[in-house]
This record gives sequence, C-alpha cells and structure tokens, in this order.
Amino acid sequence: MAIDASAEIVTPPGRRRRRGTAKVNLGLISVPLLWLIVFFLIPVVLVALYSVGVLTLISYDKYLSLELWRYFLHSDTYLGGPLGRGLFWKSLKMSFGVSITCVILAYPVAYMLALVAGRRRYTLLLVIITPFLTSYLLRVLAWRVLLNPQGVIEAVLRNGGLVADGSQISWLYNSTFAVYLVLAYSWVPFVALPIFVSLESLDLQMLEASSDLGASRLQTFRKVTLPMSMPGVIAAFVFVFIPTIGEYVTPQIVGGKAGYLFGNVIQSSFSSSFDWQLGSAMSVFMLAAVAILLAIFGRYLNMRSVTE
Amino acid sequence: MGQLDAVLGNPATRRTFLKGTGVLAASGILAACRKNVDESGAATAPTGSIGPIEDEPGVLHAHEWAGYDAKWLYQDYLDAGYPQPKFSFLVNTEGALAKTAAGFDWDVTHPESGYIQDYLNMGALQPWDTSLMPNFKHLNPVIEASGQVDGKQYEIGLDWGYSAPLIRTDHLDATLDSYSYLFTDDAAGHISWFDTPWILQMAAIAQGMDPGHSFEMTDTELEDMKNYTIEKGQKNLYNIWVNYQDMWDDVQTGNVWATYAWPDAYVALKDKVDVAYIRPSGGTLAWVEGLVLRSDTENYHHAHAFADAWSAATVGTRLISSWGYGHANLEVDLSKIDPDVVKVFGLDDPEKNLSEPQSYLDRYQANRNAYNRAWNEVKASL
Repeated sequence: MAIDASAEIVTPPGRRRRRGTAKVNLGLISVPLLWLIVFFLIPVVLVALYSVGVLTLISYDKYLSLELWRYFLHSDTYLGGPLGRGLFWKSLKMSFGVSITCVILAYPVAYMLALVAGRRRYTLLLVIITPFLTSYLLRVLAWRVLLNPQGVIEAVLRNGGLVADGSQISWLYNSTFAVYLVLAYSWVPFVALPIFVSLESLDLQMLEASSDLGASRLQTFRKVTLPMSMPGVIAAFVFVFIPTIGEYVTPQIVGGKAGYLFGNVIQSSFSSSFDWQLGSAMSVFMLAAVAILLAIFGRYLNMRSVTE
Repeated sequence: MGQLDAVLGNPATRRTFLKGTGVLAASGILAACRKNVDESGAATAPTGSIGPIEDEPGVLHAHEWAGYDAKWLYQDYLDAGYPQPKFSFLVNTEGALAKTAAGFDWDVTHPESGYIQDYLNMGALQPWDTSLMPNFKHLNPVIEASGQVDGKQYEIGLDWGYSAPLIRTDHLDATLDSYSYLFTDDAAGHISWFDTPWILQMAAIAQGMDPGHSFEMTDTELEDMKNYTIEKGQKNLYNIWVNYQDMWDDVQTGNVWATYAWPDAYVALKDKVDVAYIRPSGGTLAWVEGLVLRSDTENYHHAHAFADAWSAATVGTRLISSWGYGHANLEVDLSKIDPDVVKVFGLDDPEKNLSEPQSYLDRYQANRNAYNRAWNEVKASL
C-alpha cells in the first residue's frame, strides 16, 4: 500500500480533547499543590528537622539527637500513658468535648435555617454569623468581662442572693470550664455552616416519601435527615476538632492555671522558653496524633462521603 | 504592639500577653532560610567599618520594646540633629534572638543582660566604645558590670527593676521579708505568679538557698523546686499572669493578695489600695536591660549618640516617675521623685542596693533549658 508522505497525521479529536483536559486539570491542581508543598509540607519537614536537632536556631548548636523526643515521650506531665492524665490527653478530651458540643448546639440552628426559615434563610444566616465577624480576641476578652469574679454573671447571681457576698464561683473563671465554654461559643457558627449546606442540599422528596410511607417526624429525622446530613456533621466536627486541639489563646485569657493546654506548652517552648527543639517535637507529635485520629474518624464515620 | 495590647491599650509593654505570637511565624520561616549570622559561635570583633560619622547612612535601626520609641527617651539625640531612628518592635528577648539568628538586621537592640552571652554566641555583638558616650561616667557601675563580658562593655545597662513580691497589706502581714509570700498557705487562692522560671528560683530562695546559687541549681535541686512549686501552686495559686495590667486589676480588686511584680506595679497601685513591695533582705532578684550594638552596624557613631541620649539623667527621672522602672544614671534628680518610690527602689544608695548580697542581677544561665523545661512542667501540672 502506498503511503502518502505528505499526508498529515491527524490526532483524533477525542484524544486531543482529553489531552487538553489533562493539561487544564494539571494547571488547576498545580497552584494549590504548590501552595500545600511550600506552606504546609516544607514547614512540617522543617519542624521535624528542628525536633531532632538537625536544624537549630544557632548554627553552632547543631546536633542530631532524639533526646528531646525521649524526654517528651516518657513525660508523665505531657503524655502520662494512653488516655492518662498527661496534658496531651487533657487537650484531646477538651477538644473532643468542645467539638461534640458545638455540633449538638449548631445542628438545630442549621436545621431551622435550612428547612424551616424558607426564603429568609440567608438573611438569618447572616444575622447569626455577624457577631463572629468581629475580632476573635475581642470576643474572648468580652467573656472575661462576663466570667471574672467581679464580672456580670457573678454580680447578677450575687444580687439575686444566689451567691453569698465574699464568696466566689471558683469554676466559672480561670478554669477548664471557662475554656470549654468560650471555645464552644467561638466555634458554633462555623460548625453551623457545613451542616446548613448539607441540610439545604437535601432532596426534600425523600422526606415526603418517608412521611408517605408512614414514618413519624422523629423517625424521618432519625432514618433520613440525620444520616443524609452526616457528611456535613462530620465536616463540622473536624472543623472544630483540628484547630481547638492546638488552641492556646483562649486558655491563656480565661483558663488560668487550670486551663493550661498542650498548645500552651508548644507556644511557650517556641517563645519564652526558647526551646524550639522540644516545641518542634511536641508539634510533630500533635500533627501525627491528629492525622491518626482523622484517619480513624474517616474510617468509622464514612468520611469519604464528605468529599463526594 | 501586638493585637491584644492594642485592644488593651497598654502604653509601654515589656512583656506582652501574646508572647512571641507574631514572632514565631516570621522567625520560623526566616530561621529556615537564614543567612549566615556566625557559624563559629565565637564573639566577634566589629565587622562594620568604623569611619567618620559623616560616612554613615545615618538612619539608625533600633529593635526595641513596644513603647520605647517615645521621643523623650532619646530626645538629646534628636536635639543634636540626628535623623529620627527607624524602629521595629520586639515582643520578648527570646523572639528577638530568634529573629537575629534568622538574619534580621538592626543596629541596636534592648535585651535583658542575661541574654548578652546568647547574642555573643551568635557573633551578633561588638563592644561599645564608652569614651564616645559622655553620660557613661554617670551610670551605675554595678549595672554596667552586668553588661560586660571579658572586660568589654557589650551592653549599656539602662533600665532595671526588681522581681519581688507585691502584697496586699490589708490581707497579709507585711513583716515577713521573704519570697515565701508567693507560696504561703496564708494567701491560699490569692497568689499570682508571672510566667517565668524565676518562680523556681524564688521558691529556692524562700527555702533558704543562696540567691546566687539559685541561678545554677543542680538537676536534683531543680527537681525538688519543681515539685515544691507544683504542690504550692495546686494549693494556693490564683493564676499565672502574663499581662501586667491584668495583674494590677487582680490586686486592686482583691482577687490577688500576693504577686510576683516589678516596682512599676507598686507605683501604679500604691495610691489605690494598701500594698507593700517586699524586697527580701536576704537577696532580691533584679533585672537589667540595655542597648547592645550589632557587630556589623554601619551606624557606629549614631548608635553611640543614641545610647548616650538614653543614658541622660533627665531620661532617668522621667523613666522612674512615669513608668516605674529604674534607670542606671546616678545623677537622677531624686527631689522630683516620690519619696516612697525612692525608698522602694532603694534609690538613696542604688550602688549598694543593687550589689550582692542585697540584690542578685540577672545573668546568663548555661542551663537555661533545664529551668524552662521544669517551669513548663510546673504550669502543665497545676
């Protein structure tokens, strides 16, 4: 068969389109990927190198050592064994409790907005979120005004005769409770958002079908609404859990001596203690612990559906 | 000034609430990409050329505490016609050290004397030529000695203060003359500490340890003090303050009866509530801060003029009266200062009162990490 050498080899249009799509995808993903590499992966690696002394602030101090890891991992104060009394477990429990509380508080709000409020839902959503557009620090400091022994809450209780003059409610301020309360308050609106989105995208015909098949409202909620909104609930839980486990500002402002958390030790190690190696070891440990916990949550709570 | 300080409106913060928050991010990245400060760690001779003042760039870069850019602190410098310095601000000395290690440039900065050796280890400092500073001869030699290493004046000590108990005299007997106010069961639930490992040293001094030795405790002694402090803290502590104005409020409202304090707290509170500032006669811990000179500064003469302006007696008078900090100049006009403040600072004889055994000035601690780790464990155990 004679071949016409001058004939142009033409790529089929479908393959060309696929190649074009692949280039676009690569272009789209490269920016966030680069961002993650530069601002997440590389810093994490650097922190890990600090934790073993390969990197140090002062060059002549450089040495490879696992001594700080050994100190930290054997510390009763910071770890104290699995689910022990160590500070890490205290932070974990606090973060878990705050996340659960936030989800429980935010769910009815999101439900009302998504399924009851009708056309006013976005206006109401904005109203709920508005106070939280102010400075985080300002809001936490406002709680100090409310909770401190001379604050509004104790004054009201004292005037009402519920607290005797000269005595104080010791658990209200400079306490674990205060940290728990303020963290829960701070995160509720952010938790409501993913739940709201999840509920808003519910197929309402499913609810009608459930009702038509004889399910009560409670049964419909339990068997249809709640399971279908779980991706939003899980996302909301993770939204709170990850940042609060390393929280140190709120404990410092309202926690007093009892509110000291794992994040405070890390912050202290990097600043006033000038002990970057220990701070780095703790940071890497916390990062690994959070990653493992998320993997566990993902496995048991079908996290994949969040991304689908 | 940090965001929180801006919220609180602190006029001049030495140790602010969010210690190092902003510094951490910046210095972490800078540290990883740092330029070489000094690989050897040895103290270095000046690397910048010391030519005539006319050849210098002229705009001095001072890395200072927030609020220390107030013009009255270096008014003589401006009056002499030098250009307004450029200021950047430090949140704490540890953060400033981290930034310096990461390659951050400055001509002068203002660390506590205990950190001079750390800067020297980085090769970041050169000694001052005190003959270029007319006011230097008026400065307290005890304070200036704390700024010397190997006979060279690496820091011009300027502001200073004690770290000692401030007590509410309507709740506690003021005759105790000891650091034990910070641990006593008599003030259970009303004691406040500052966030510093010096609390461990104060516990040791309260139990009879020589204050000088408290800077170099053995591991066993440190462990004992850690356990003692945890025990007392769990039982008697109200809180650990990080912002001095919070502490003032707590003393004023009666939440706190005994607290770790600098003399400025006494100046601020003495006319509002019944307080006494206790300088234990067995030895009081004291801190000194001053200006250090960058090894490669191009503003050598400007830096000396700036430090000299800071050293003036007029600055001292105002610093003591307004801010409640001590000043190294011995020519300070005591007639313009509240006699009560003169007494608390021991300004009638500052050389004697800042010397051992009356006072023990802050110093370099080679074992500082052990102190910091013990202190972090205390905080985590309360």
